[in-house]
Amino acid sequence: MAKRSRLDIIADMLYAIQDKGGRIKPTHLMYKSNLSHTQMMTYLEELLHKHLIGKINQKGYEYIIITDQGYQFWHKVKEMREFEKTFGI
Amino acid sequence: MFEVVYTPRWFYGKDIAIDVVSILVLALIALFSLRCAKLDRQNKNYLWLSASFGLLALSFVFKILMNFTLYFYGQETAMVGKITVVYNVLEPTTTLFLIGFIVYHLLGLLGLYALFSIYHKQSRSTVILVLYLLATIVFFSHVTHYLFHLTSLILLALLAFHYAQYAKKSKALTTKMLTASFLIIGLSQPFFIFMGVRPDLYVVAECIQLVGYLLLLFTFLKVLYGKAKPS
Repeated sequence: MAKRSRLDIIADMLYAIQDKGGRIKPTHLMYKSNLSHTQMMTYLEELLHKHLIGKINQKGYEYIIITDQGYQFWHKVKEMREFEKTFGI
Repeated sequence: MFEVVYTPRWFYGKDIAIDVVSILVLALIALFSLRCAKLDRQNKNYLWLSASFGLLALSFVFKILMNFTLYFYGQETAMVGKITVVYNVLEPTTTLFLIGFIVYHLLGLLGLYALFSIYHKQSRSTVILVLYLLATIVFFSHVTHYLFHLTSLILLALLAFHYAQYAKKSKALTTKMLTASFLIIGLSQPFFIFMGVRPDLYVVAECIQLVGYLLLLFTFLKVLYGKAKPS
């Protein structure tokens, strides 16, 4: 299997959050995105900084949520991957 | 020396509308590819794809310029059987026509070759040699117009063949549609080649080209608005 690019990892993370209804616990996100704890923390920091995700607290648990901006970004990446698959580039 | 181009009278100007549709489809793909290039800076193929489709779109802009020149200068009509044809007699020194003619042919071939080069990597010397040959073809197209269409046919056939091979592997419906659209656009070229023999072949060629570009547009829209899938 080919090594995932930075963009692939970000798209996988955003998809994992969406797949869980728009919010996910950090540990679940780590497993679903196939990342180590250190890797995930680095990516989370970047995504938070770019306002693609946010953090909320519910019933004493911390959740990662996807923002509208994050959803739009994921949608763009999805379109791009479909385009890439079609043209074989 | 005179260049004679035949166009059935009833089709007068309609080819420009068809070319505008082609420009819009090509520009749409070029812009989308450019957006992808900004999103994924690691994959340079997006930039090449954008450049290829951009060049093809621009070539049609110059084709329209060339056709405008033809429609505004030296038009005469004649009856061929039951068909009224408009034929344009031009001196090749007509600057605007020459610019349109050369740039249309040059950008058209460059666009197709750039697209071909994305899938078939070549050495620098091969690229230089091919560019020289394309420039030569454009130069001689002035005398023998079919050279341009023959070269386009070969490049389009090679691209369609590549997409067909890739579609077999990927099994993606959109790639199959892409193959079909390139095949259809390629199919228009033999009709352009023989348009000097029968004027209505130019109409057939333009209509086939329109179908090809509409299918390309439909493919592109299917890529954008197709079923959502995980990355």
